[in-house]
Amino acid sequence: MTAIQVFVNGILLGGTYVLIAQSLNLIFGVMKVVNLAHGGFIVIAGLFTFWAVNRLGIPPLVALPIVFIGGAILGALLEPLIIEPLMGRGKQSELLSLIVTFGLNYVLTQIALFSFGTDYVSVPYLQQTFNIGGVIISGALLLTGVFAGAITLLLYFGLKYTYVGKSLLAASQSTIGAQSCGINVVRVRAIAFAIGVALAAVAGALLIIVQPMSASSSDNLTILAFVVIALGGLGSYKGATVAAFLLGVVQAAVGYLLGGNIESVLPFVLLILIMLMWPRGIQRST
Amino acid sequence: MSAPHSSRGSVVRHKGGKLAPLLACVLFTLAAIGIPAFGSAYTIQLATDIVQAIVLAYAWNLLGGYTGYISFGHVSFFGIGAYTMAMLVLHASIPWYIAVFCGGAVAVLVAALVGPIMLRLRGILFALGMLGLARILETLFTDWTYPGGAAGTVLAGTLTPVAVYALMVLIAVTAFATNFFFMRSGFGLDAMSIREDEDAATALGVSTTKVKTIVFAISALFPALAGGLTAWNRSFIDPPSAFDPTIDLLTIVFVLFGGIGSLWGPLVGASFLMLVGELLLVRLPTLKLALYGVIVIAIVLLLPGGIISLVNRAGWLKRKPVLAPPHLPGGADPQTQGQDSKAAGHDERPVLELRNLSVRFGGHVAVDNVSFEVDTGEILCIIGANGAGKTTLFNAIAGAVPLAQGCVRLHGRDITALPLSRRVHLGIARTFQIPRLLVDLTVWENVLLAARHGRQSHRAVEHTAWVIQAVGLEELWLAQAATLSPGRQRELELARVLAAQPDIVLLDEVMAGMTGDERERVRQVIRQLPQLGVRAVICVEHVISAVADLSNRMLVLDFGHKIAHDVPDKVLNDPAVVKAYLGDVA
Repeated sequence: MTAIQVFVNGILLGGTYVLIAQSLNLIFGVMKVVNLAHGGFIVIAGLFTFWAVNRLGIPPLVALPIVFIGGAILGALLEPLIIEPLMGRGKQSELLSLIVTFGLNYVLTQIALFSFGTDYVSVPYLQQTFNIGGVIISGALLLTGVFAGAITLLLYFGLKYTYVGKSLLAASQSTIGAQSCGINVVRVRAIAFAIGVALAAVAGALLIIVQPMSASSSDNLTILAFVVIALGGLGSYKGATVAAFLLGVVQAAVGYLLGGNIESVLPFVLLILIMLMWPRGIQRST
Repeated sequence: MSAPHSSRGSVVRHKGGKLAPLLACVLFTLAAIGIPAFGSAYTIQLATDIVQAIVLAYAWNLLGGYTGYISFGHVSFFGIGAYTMAMLVLHASIPWYIAVFCGGAVAVLVAALVGPIMLRLRGILFALGMLGLARILETLFTDWTYPGGAAGTVLAGTLTPVAVYALMVLIAVTAFATNFFFMRSGFGLDAMSIREDEDAATALGVSTTKVKTIVFAISALFPALAGGLTAWNRSFIDPPSAFDPTIDLLTIVFVLFGGIGSLWGPLVGASFLMLVGELLLVRLPTLKLALYGVIVIAIVLLLPGGIISLVNRAGWLKRKPVLAPPHLPGGADPQTQGQDSKAAGHDERPVLELRNLSVRFGGHVAVDNVSFEVDTGEILCIIGANGAGKTTLFNAIAGAVPLAQGCVRLHGRDITALPLSRRVHLGIARTFQIPRLLVDLTVWENVLLAARHGRQSHRAVEHTAWVIQAVGLEELWLAQAATLSPGRQRELELARVLAAQPDIVLLDEVMAGMTGDERERVRQVIRQLPQLGVRAVICVEHVISAVADLSNRMLVLDFGHKIAHDVPDKVLNDPAVVKAYLGDVA
């Protein structure tokens, strides 16, 4: 029974990883930018949700659309200001945007520290658990899992079947090609970044109901998200989903067998191993 | 793409001579001696912090500034140095000053072992990998109780502030000297070539993995020494302070702000920002870090060269081209220079020999059963319509495509099975359709890099000077490669090929897209090649008129078949050739 419980825990953990990773995936897929401020956005949105729930008495699910819109506006403002000027310089763009988002992450983290303090906090919500044949499932984790699935499906089908989505895909394949088809690539990138930040914010608002979070969690969240999308083959939504569940299960098993500290360092070890051994992701290499 | 500048390019000029660096040294020495002599305890501590920031900035600059490998986890070595020192002092009762050096040695060792693995990652992947490494180490030391675990360890640090300060200054001066060495030496040039274009550097004979690893190991030394000294000075060590990611942020901010890859940037950036941070924001540590974040963004967007690039614009503290003499030395006689070693052992065998060579791409036969020889002193030109198989034949000689049948012999030796890199060592050099120059470096450095391969330093300098004059770039020898016109860039590429002293030069459409003037200059260089030590030249060209009077023989390909191979006059009047080019004159 324990093995099944560990497996189910891993799957539920994987659900939160899907949530954390897909927005980073979108921004990388379209812009080839590894957004190191990703964790910063998640943390700010999460702590804001905590604040809104405790101080304003808003239910977490009402806070969701607020952080979504707030994130979208923030992303739409930041992209033209600090990312767009670096685009179109090939390999150099990747490195420069990495440095810029590295700086942005510090700004966001410090703002979060300044506004919300250094404590680890969590929002108690959907605390009841379901016992299905001896396997215990937390309601909050189930909710995040549902949202993670919905976001992945929306991204997948939205990119495939809507005009905006197709423009995003076109822009990610070739800037010049997309431009010569009449796509405003500059606007498309701003949209991608705005959606990416908005989804990161949603992830933050949901994550805080399943695990404690503080301003200093941002780096770990960014790395975790990058591990997932790197494992899934950078830019692949299906790959990232598979990778997230895989990582969740492996991490739950390692945590159960070897203890919490090894569990928490696992993403970093995997990060280096994956980049060295499967630089194009597991899905595409096998 | 470089903007079409005038064909003259822009020459790097120096103003202020040695005055500015001298002034900087004097100022630094005054500060270094003045602070402990007259400063309060607070001043000395602040000065020590600033000097430590300078140490870390210079160490990071070695890797990030010269080889272009941006590390987000250099604090790993700071922590390794600190922990090695602490463990040796606590558990082996080794005096702290020896322990600090042991910490440095361990960090170098770790870097030398980890380097070849981590440095396989390029660009963003390396940056993220280093970030991961630092977090792994932090967790490791949190879990490991021997050096103190999560709670940390108290050390019996007994040092006067002045002694710590003096030692830190010593480390800083060494770190600076290392940067100075990188800026002025051939080894530094190798490192810079990796930053500019790692693949091109490899093709020019730079052992990139070795150079990267050495730089990585050296840049690990200084943070480790600083880490050991600081931990001893603080009398306490724990994982969060030893592997503090903020240290990396600060280091990167300082180097970027001062000027990445420059000699003076890290010093300027670290001193200035540390003072500003201390004086203005001592009460608002949160805001201080946020401000540093903003500075990183602003510098990358607005002033990528950092503060030092502003100073450079005024003509001060500019980078000097590596190993460049004050004036270009007079050209030695090409006859003695170029052919000294090769004239001996001259044989009658053809330089290059192709036998029944075929290349297939799936069902398509790109080159069909082609045989020919190239003799010493010959310039052979391969012509043909689009899709005739010219470039494929070329790639087959260079070793870039596998053969379906046939063999290639160099001086009678069968090289069919040898890979591209071995063929380069044996003396087959080629140009590319798009020149891959190291655009931020000067003409001099581009050529020197190729000339350094297998030569002693002073011989390489002589050879470089001679090659630059041989191809007619002497007026532009200190110009930045990016500022050259496309034609001049071709000449520079030719110069680089020549500097490696190849036996055979393969020229891939070097005259494509050139103006008449530029084409004439390149033709002049090609005509000279046999006198410059090159045994044979094979060129692929579209413009027949540009090569007709240049080549000794011409080879015409048509749909992969050799339809003519003779002196230009005969080839151009051959009915089969005319038919292939112009169609049937019915």
